[in-house]
Amino acid sequence: MSSTEALREHEAQERKANRARAKAGRSVIFKIIRCDGPGKPSRWESFKVPVEPGSNVISCLKWIAANPVTIDGKQTTPPVWDSGCLEEVCGACTMVINGKVRQSCSCLIDEYAPLEGDTITLEPMSKFPVVRDLWVDRARLFNALKRVKAWVPIDSTYAQGAGPKESPEHQQTRYRLSECMSCGCCLEACPQYNIEEDESKWDESFIGAHAISQARLFNEHETGKRLKGERLEELSDKGGVGDCGNAQNCVKVCPKHIPLTESIGAMGRATTIHAIASFFTGKK
Amino acid sequence: MGNDSGFMNRHYFLLRRLHSLSGILPIGVFLINHLLTNSTIAWGLVNSRASENVAPGTIEQVGEMTARRVGTFQHEVTFINEMPFLVLIEVTLWVSIAFHAILGVYFARTGKSNTARYAYQDNWRYSLQRLTGYIAIFYIFYHVATLRWGWTFMSPTDEPWSHSQAASTFSLALRGQAQGIGFGGILVSLFYFVGVTASVYHLANGLWTAAITWGLTISESAQRRWGYVCAGLGAGLMLMAWSSLIGFLLLDVNHARAVEADMHAAHGTHVETTLPVAEADH
Repeated sequence: MSSTEALREHEAQERKANRARAKAGRSVIFKIIRCDGPGKPSRWESFKVPVEPGSNVISCLKWIAANPVTIDGKQTTPPVWDSGCLEEVCGACTMVINGKVRQSCSCLIDEYAPLEGDTITLEPMSKFPVVRDLWVDRARLFNALKRVKAWVPIDSTYAQGAGPKESPEHQQTRYRLSECMSCGCCLEACPQYNIEEDESKWDESFIGAHAISQARLFNEHETGKRLKGERLEELSDKGGVGDCGNAQNCVKVCPKHIPLTESIGAMGRATTIHAIASFFTGKK
Repeated sequence: MGNDSGFMNRHYFLLRRLHSLSGILPIGVFLINHLLTNSTIAWGLVNSRASENVAPGTIEQVGEMTARRVGTFQHEVTFINEMPFLVLIEVTLWVSIAFHAILGVYFARTGKSNTARYAYQDNWRYSLQRLTGYIAIFYIFYHVATLRWGWTFMSPTDEPWSHSQAASTFSLALRGQAQGIGFGGILVSLFYFVGVTASVYHLANGLWTAAITWGLTISESAQRRWGYVCAGLGAGLMLMAWSSLIGFLLLDVNHARAVEADMHAAHGTHVETTLPVAEADH
């Protein structure tokens, strides 16, 4: 078992133990960061929420939105958050829960606050600009995917016929990378990825583990590899894979268990070979 | 955007990789060699040939073990000092260290430690790499300035370090006095302990991350295996660094001087003396 797997197993055991001792009919305290809009100051507000069996953070947020009264009895606005699929495949509801980043839809209250009066803190991700309350604008994350051309180039003026064959082994490797849902957990936990509100600086700021891994995914694709050189050029430049500091938090917080640090190593190797080849051939 | 950042951006990949490479070659290789040399002040005691050039009377006075330790260390320092193109080697090292330090600070400032929230071992390793880098800059500067450039105003002793009396003058610079240790000596010794520990950690961890940077280790298992190698190397170097410090702290300065004097008498012409004026006139 790798150290990352061992860590995940340890965390899973902790959650399981909490689930086993969860008290029925309890109330938990939700401590939420509130912010009225971009650039506005933020504040903490607490709410007492009755927990139903199987409740998750989103269902509790819905309860708070329907009963927006703080623990001190003060009437407030309903909290705002982003969410989509509610089954941990879209990444939209990612937030910082009890100090660590994860999806809120799959976050069971029994696993985080098993006893009466236990507290759950909710914060928006700190690496993206806040739109309101727990809702952030992840545009820079998607811009990073454009930087590495994370797609397969198939546009043409005529039919090009069937694509190249793919081996099952190769497909297995790529499948794990393809599970990325662009949620932003790897970026939130990364000490090298920091908030950049100035859009003009995005293309020189650290691109992040998700985009490095997606560049690997599409470089490994038999048709996608047509853009390999362009992807490696982008990853070699400022803000590319060289800006990774190897803290390896990304792989530990990835909800899809994508081998992000292996992708970083693979792209390190690819950029090394690309640079040597460019030096001797003059080709980019 | 200024010219500097323009240059930086145009050659970003090359500068990044030169930063990584310079930490290993020449700096890392030199550090290993330097610690090997230094640790002879402790492990020289197993070198039975080291006392061959020390007079029997001196051995009787200082003891066989001190004679061997100082004898081996002085022999190594003399060897280094007689290497050809020594100035070139030195300047290459100074330039490399300055390059690695300046770029290192620039790169380190792009990160923001978050071990409070994500207290993983790897995350601590990341933060420590940056902290030890900062410590190493101050430490190496102090070390080179006081011993090599003779800036003794920062040293607890007025006596400059001399390659012909390598052990005694260094022990003096570490402790501040020939007998025992003074307040300044305690501070300098602690600084040396922290400084070499930080430097060794920085090299061992830097070797581990360099393998990812260059793409030698990709899979998590490969990274783990290379991690054992780097940890082993780090532990070995740490042992050498700490035993060197203990060796110098437990050295009688006057005894060391006696051994060094004998070494130079045996070595003949290499003793640093000014030529007689009459001879120089011919």
